[in-house]
Amino acid sequence: MRIVVCIKQVPATTAEKRYTADLRLDRASAEAVINPLDEYAIEQALRLQESGAVETVGFLSMGPEQAAEALRRALAMGGDDATLVTDRALAGADEWATARVLAAALDRLAPDIALMGMASDDARGSLVPGAVAALRGLPLLSYGAELSVAGAHARIRRLTAAGFDVIEAPLPVVATVTDQVGEPRYASLKGIMAAKRKPMETWSLADLGLAAADLHGAALTRVVEARKPEAKPPTERVENASPDEAVGRIADWLAARKLI
Amino acid sequence: MTYRPTADHDELRAVVRQLADERIAPRAAEIDERAEFPWDLKELLARQDLLGTCFPARFGGTELDDIGQAILVEEVARADATTSLIPIVQKLGSLPIIVAGSEEQQARYFPRLASGEWLAAFGLTEAGAGSDVAGVRMRARRDGDAYVLSGSKRFITHGSIANLVTIFALTDPEAGGRKGMSAFIVETDTPGFSSPRLEHKMGIRGSPTAELHFDDVRVPAANRLGEEGAGFAIAMATLDRSRLSIAAQAVGIAAGALDFALAYAGQREQFGERLAEMQGIQFLLADMGSQTEAARQLTYAAAAAVDAGAPDLAYWTSCAKLIAGDTAMRVTTDAVQVLGGYGYVSEYPVERMMRDAKITQLYEGTQQIQRIIVARQLLRRAGVGRAAKPGDRA
Amino acid sequence: MGKDVAFLAEYSAGGAARSALELAAGAAALARQSGGIAVALAYGPGSGKAGELGAAGAVKVVVLGDAPAPAITFAAAASAVVAELRPLALMAPATPNGRDLAAALVGLLGLPAFGPVRAVSIEGGNVRSEQATLQGSVITSSEPVEGAPQPAVVLVLPSTFTPAEGGSGTATVTPAPAGEPGPFGRATVVESHPAEAAVANLEEASVIVAGGRGVGSAEGFAPLHELAAALGGAVGASRAAADAGWVPYQLQIGQTGKVVKPALYVGCGISGAIQHRVGMQTAENVLAINKDPDAPIGEFADLFVVGDLFTIVPKLTAEIRRRKGT
Repeated sequence: MRIVVCIKQVPATTAEKRYTADLRLDRASAEAVINPLDEYAIEQALRLQESGAVETVGFLSMGPEQAAEALRRALAMGGDDATLVTDRALAGADEWATARVLAAALDRLAPDIALMGMASDDARGSLVPGAVAALRGLPLLSYGAELSVAGAHARIRRLTAAGFDVIEAPLPVVATVTDQVGEPRYASLKGIMAAKRKPMETWSLADLGLAAADLHGAALTRVVEARKPEAKPPTERVENASPDEAVGRIADWLAARKLI
Repeated sequence: MTYRPTADHDELRAVVRQLADERIAPRAAEIDERAEFPWDLKELLARQDLLGTCFPARFGGTELDDIGQAILVEEVARADATTSLIPIVQKLGSLPIIVAGSEEQQARYFPRLASGEWLAAFGLTEAGAGSDVAGVRMRARRDGDAYVLSGSKRFITHGSIANLVTIFALTDPEAGGRKGMSAFIVETDTPGFSSPRLEHKMGIRGSPTAELHFDDVRVPAANRLGEEGAGFAIAMATLDRSRLSIAAQAVGIAAGALDFALAYAGQREQFGERLAEMQGIQFLLADMGSQTEAARQLTYAAAAAVDAGAPDLAYWTSCAKLIAGDTAMRVTTDAVQVLGGYGYVSEYPVERMMRDAKITQLYEGTQQIQRIIVARQLLRRAGVGRAAKPGDRA
Repeated sequence: MGKDVAFLAEYSAGGAARSALELAAGAAALARQSGGIAVALAYGPGSGKAGELGAAGAVKVVVLGDAPAPAITFAAAASAVVAELRPLALMAPATPNGRDLAAALVGLLGLPAFGPVRAVSIEGGNVRSEQATLQGSVITSSEPVEGAPQPAVVLVLPSTFTPAEGGSGTATVTPAPAGEPGPFGRATVVESHPAEAAVANLEEASVIVAGGRGVGSAEGFAPLHELAAALGGAVGASRAAADAGWVPYQLQIGQTGKVVKPALYVGCGISGAIQHRVGMQTAENVLAINKDPDAPIGEFADLFVVGDLFTIVPKLTAEIRRRKGT
């Protein structure tokens, strides 16, 4: 039984240093090497391996050469091997191109479960898992609070507005998990040292039997404009007022905006 | 002494920083306020293999080089000085066994120390013997195949929670401290051992600093490190290496204070502009930053000297501890200054960092002792050292 | 090339989802600009009644299937319909179901994808989508590249469009061509565990009263429930409150929870850290109540009240009831 976890490296942007409400330095998630939501998928895969339900765990990432760092970090958390798909033609790849490439790579790796996190950072659409499943002709088990394996089936527990459902599909599947799976582990020092010895392969588009033309030039979408958001009027503040005064001002504010 | 941090060092730093930001920093204020040892963080560090860095791989350690160990301590201290003492003291207490222990003694104890299952502590200082190491009074009287230890130690970091303490006592009181001291491994559950009292301190308050009493504690002769009379040399060899950890700790404390001051300057507005736009503040921050970097680079150079087994490594580690300790005190004091009144109140972390920084000028050899070591080496190199006296170290 | 604007219309035991009504209005408005018609792809229990979407703005409805299954189960049917219709755009709600079905269509048909977006328009015959990126610090507008296949798949955030009021008319309803559900049909719900109390769907609430670390306990949420009731809204929470077990996970708003766009968001005892902010920053009106004058939420709220929520919230509830005469 083999799981391949697809991870994405979030670019290391320099975060503005600030301190939090409880007066600690704020570590913006943008500094993480691995997209934080993918760490939950890694954690789920490693737990399944530790429980014996899964024999091997591999990692797959599509990105620039630097994405190898994210794969090394994943290997430092655990797992057995990693594959990086990198190609200049993939710069600026949109969701469909990404799905196309990942699907081709996953077809070659042929895991029982292709596992991904919920969504990539900065509120992107999280369409890649469903598109990958469609391209590979496999069932999708998405938004799992927990993933388990039973015989030749995989199942997830998905929270709904009205409780939770258990959804099952025969292997092989594509699956995604949420942050409900539990806290991801930190890479241990022995893990970091062991990661260097674990195999990592690098594939180009040609290795996948794809050409740039197959991807419509990597992006079907283009940005036509980028601007700063509308300047909001400065925050109105109510301070040093008695509770009754504050309540009066709030109610007036609500009334002025036709909210009550 | 030149060195080059590797990609592995960068990876280690990134991993420890993430762990420190997410798990250690949020606990720092509480640890200081309650003066409670953070057992949860000790477990976390142990699980991440971060307490076994100075032990050989064959005993379950990770044999991390001294630069890597410095980076580890620096990143933890950046979040919390108290927590950084956990790996620091694990190494300090174990160093006598590392430098002078037999293969059998190492095999007996290192596995449990490397895994963090056991904690170690270093028992040298006494009420009347601080800087004057040779002034140790504790006795170790030979009795058959054991030694009977009697006396007290004071200011022993983690002495009250350690499973094992490396103890220095006089086997030959007539010969005095330099020639008559021996080193022993004492398991703290041995009858007669007690730690009745803890100090109330200015800083590193979550780290228990204990008085240790030895009431005729019997220690097997197999627990003596090296020959009788080798104790002083073992203690010096230990401190020559362990003071590097303090340098790294001081760099980390300074870095944490600098980070906070930078963030504050970027947010606080007075007179219609942010502090970060004001030259006066910029100058303060520049001094803090450049001095912290200088201390950091010197610490890494000293680590490289230790890794290379340089004959003058004591000079290097003394320089590093001297510079880094003074830098930490200066930078944390300036961080409080940047925050103004807010820097003085416990709601903000810099006053704690300033209180924590002070110890780096005091323990593992005061700054004055470091100056003696550095001066001696400088003068010797210049050919103006004093004539050797009997009992001098080489 | 098709000029119609299609959208996903989700149905459940409770009838048409609010997103279906919002997207119907949006699709109708866009179709007027493009010169086509609004077409609904309806699915789920009760979707046979989707002709009623005619009053919401749809002209045609294609029913994909009425099984109570995850939306992606209807991907094969939807793909066949979309491949034939080739609308200019296909809008899907930015919910798990909507995203999955949209994703499958992107994969099956090789389509340009946008979202989640906060505005959609037609510019020069192209579908233009506006999205907040980099945690809200940049607004980007995107379009399909020249020659890209149609439709453009657009994930739409709740409350981007307002349902039409007082509309009438019935849309024509046709079933999708019968076919195999394909691989997606192999994922089936084998167990269904309802919660003791149904949890409100935050994505559809127009008023949300959210509690954070400052609320302190599960019992502390009681005044927030009262305020929400007085305002006709729902209760939400930050991750801190959900992790602490004070509210069910489904109420969590933020990076790993729900993204909401209510007309009014009231944050009580919420600091406003970025992970929460990305879940609610497009709310139209933001009121924050916090003891800490330096809480980050004070920087982007419309009205920031420094005070003790346990004193202010009950009084506010009473005042609102008084003014509303309820």
